[in-house]
Amino acid sequence: MTMVEVPGEFTVPRRSWGDDEVFDREMQQIFRHCWQYVAHESEIPEPGDYVLRKMGRDQVIVVRDESGQVRVHLNTCRHRGVPLCRADSGNASHFRCSYHGWTYANTGELRGVTYQADVYGKGGLDKKKLPLFSPAQVDSELGLIFATWDPEAPSLRDYLGDILWYLQLIFGKHPNGMEVVGTPVRNIVKANWKTEGENLSGDGYHTTITHSSAFDLGLFATQKDLVKLADDVAPKFTGRTVDAGNGHTMRIQRLPLRLQGNHYFGYPKEMWAGFDRMLSPEQQQAMSCLSVGHGSVFPNMSFIENFKTNVDGPDLHARYARITVRYPIDATTSEQLWFFLAPKGADPEWARLSRLAYLRTNGPSGLFEIDDTENFVGISEASVGDVSRTLPVIIEGGKHHPEAPPELGWPGNVVDGDKTERTIRAFHRRWSELMDLPAGDAAGTGAAR
Amino acid sequence: MTAEVVGSRADVKRARLGDAILHSEISQFLAYESELLDDRKFHEWVEIVAEDFVYQVPTPRTPDSPFKPHYDDRSLLIDESRWSMTTQWFRRFDEDIYEAAWGENPPVRFRHLVTNVRVRLTDDPDVYEVRSNIALVGTRQSDLPKYITGERTDRIERRDGELILARRWVVLDQVVIDFPQLRILL
Ligand code: FES
Ligand SMILES: [Fe+2]
Repeated sequence: MTMVEVPGEFTVPRRSWGDDEVFDREMQQIFRHCWQYVAHESEIPEPGDYVLRKMGRDQVIVVRDESGQVRVHLNTCRHRGVPLCRADSGNASHFRCSYHGWTYANTGELRGVTYQADVYGKGGLDKKKLPLFSPAQVDSELGLIFATWDPEAPSLRDYLGDILWYLQLIFGKHPNGMEVVGTPVRNIVKANWKTEGENLSGDGYHTTITHSSAFDLGLFATQKDLVKLADDVAPKFTGRTVDAGNGHTMRIQRLPLRLQGNHYFGYPKEMWAGFDRMLSPEQQQAMSCLSVGHGSVFPNMSFIENFKTNVDGPDLHARYARITVRYPIDATTSEQLWFFLAPKGADPEWARLSRLAYLRTNGPSGLFEIDDTENFVGISEASVGDVSRTLPVIIEGGKHHPEAPPELGWPGNVVDGDKTERTIRAFHRRWSELMDLPAGDAAGTGAAR
Repeated sequence: MTAEVVGSRADVKRARLGDAILHSEISQFLAYESELLDDRKFHEWVEIVAEDFVYQVPTPRTPDSPFKPHYDDRSLLIDESRWSMTTQWFRRFDEDIYEAAWGENPPVRFRHLVTNVRVRLTDDPDVYEVRSNIALVGTRQSDLPKYITGERTDRIERRDGELILARRWVVLDQVVIDFPQLRILL
């Protein structure tokens, strides 16, 4: 069979969403090298606190050691491989293996080998050489903890690059910081790990179609809601998208309100001055009158802050913040984790409304997610056919959108327009670089932005 | 709010259980309620639910001790009221909207299996705390069915002679939930 003609200069082979070989290569080329989000510092505030997470398909313990340093260890005994932690979270100064009892400090050092002299003879085993296996680098920004197996990887700050400025908009604007509220919900999605990330990278194109029912239900701000927020309302929402480099992306959509000064609708007014203090004027402008801001940190973490209307009754609006992570399981299966974050010390009544704004729309049981997930699952279902897998996808949208005015002061490559596929191209450009697939296989990943 | 309903396991032995007639009446009520859900007769379901109804599902987890609950009530999977279910959840099944409510069209077929109904009397003679075991089977399109299990704690009240569901709290057993969708009325 001849290769299907590619209808543009940029595409990705459909089999990327359902092929075992591509998947295995991703595990090596991407998940062994890229920085990956593992936890938020608020989840492990005290010495000994730990949570169980994954990097690629490997389970890791994220733990705060007795000196307060965050450590990440592969959750497997160096002896013969039994997992050390079986709980999702807890507190431990030491981890003791259930098989032969080797004991590790939460720093990862092997402290005790049971019957060592009997079993290995005097000097027969050097404990110093057998600490828990740990990622080459662990670091955090804005409370977000990342780790990478690659000692050659750039520093976290360099890896994040321009996306850090956008992460600050969501995670860096609360004077008292933010915290993850409770245990994350986890679920299995019968979709390739990339599909949801592509969407959250900045797909402003799907919203009015996939989420059409949400408009009918009043969960999106309509003219009816907007006229109550400002005297002067423009007819159309506007949005920008950002290629922040390294496969990281962002989309920011603004409520169409013509107002002087900053208006952080969806937060109690008492919180607004704090945001002005924490954010630069350019960042304030990005977050004032925000409808939605969402993006992805390559490869598998996404974040969103979103203004939702009428969530618990008429005129009860709120913003919420969320992180999602997708762990690859196989080519058509992933595990998704859902983290709801709240500003520390926020007014409890508002915090409740924010939680409802999240749960009822973009939480794991939220109606937006139910509709989105059908699309993501469908992409994998329809990409494993012997013919369908050979077709290219079309991701040419938004190429003609103009660059944003430079005086805006947003970092990265910023474009006016969010009904676009440019963030998806940015993701796949980075994906293709790292995958380094044989020529002809990575069907035409041209350089067009 | 949650503690008062979930209570501690210590009260199991000395709970005052309802008599056979009351047990039968409440079991029938729960079976009827399940029928309405399985048949997607949501407007009728709303009729047997209290005005101030709250439905919550905490996040399941594997704790680090068998003496801790296997859920975390600081974070929730579901938190709904009668208002939100009527205006946001069930509304998506109405004729004028369902075609674009993609996740419900075609709808996942749900089957509620409710067993081990325990009716506990409270200090108020018209308020019962009813625990039951639930298995929900969900079948999406041509996929094989999947199931999820848990324990319900319901507050059922008698108002003007009729039983109504005033509160539902469901603790799930599965931590990494593998089910056709998570918008589930257990
Ligand atoms: S496998 Fe852990 S001590 Fe033997
Ligand atoms: Fe969506």
